[in-house]
Amino acid sequence: MSVDSVPANREFAKQIGITFPLLSDFKRTVVKDYGVFNEEQGFGNRATFVIDKEGIIRHIDEGNVAIDPTTAVEACNALTHKKAATP
Amino acid sequence: MYKRVLICLAIVAIVSGVTLAQQTPPPKTHLKVGDPAPDFTLRATDGKTYKLSDFKGKKNVVLAIYVLAFTGG
Repeated sequence: MSVDSVPANREFAKQIGITFPLLSDFKRTVVKDYGVFNEEQGFGNRATFVIDKEGIIRHIDEGNVAIDPTTAVEACNALTHKKAATP
Repeated sequence: MYKRVLICLAIVAIVSGVTLAQQTPPPKTHLKVGDPAPDFTLRATDGKTYKLSDFKGKKNVVLAIYVLAFTGG
């Protein structure tokens, strides 16, 4: 997800070969709700939120840390294993 | 003499590095682990609209926010 328009994200996805959909927060409401809006630059700062099935935030990476998805992947794996343990 | 200049340069480099790091602190969201994720409804590149709460009870969700399209991430 980014604050780019749908057409801009579509072209970006095409250029780098992304096949999954990208979300557009063009009105900047979601980046504000999630506390990552960069007012000076007008965009959302880099961040990754892992949200479980109940809608609860289970992991947060912010800033340059979020470039590396390792910890987010670990959080996802933990959620998947939790599901397996308590079906 | 050269040694002294080198030491001075090293100090300047370290101080500038620290200053740069201070100028760009990591952003801090008010949200914490354990908080409910704010709901959202957004349009996507596939023409569909996605609502976070539609996934409730069905799937875990990763919300990855990247700075801008056409950049490194």
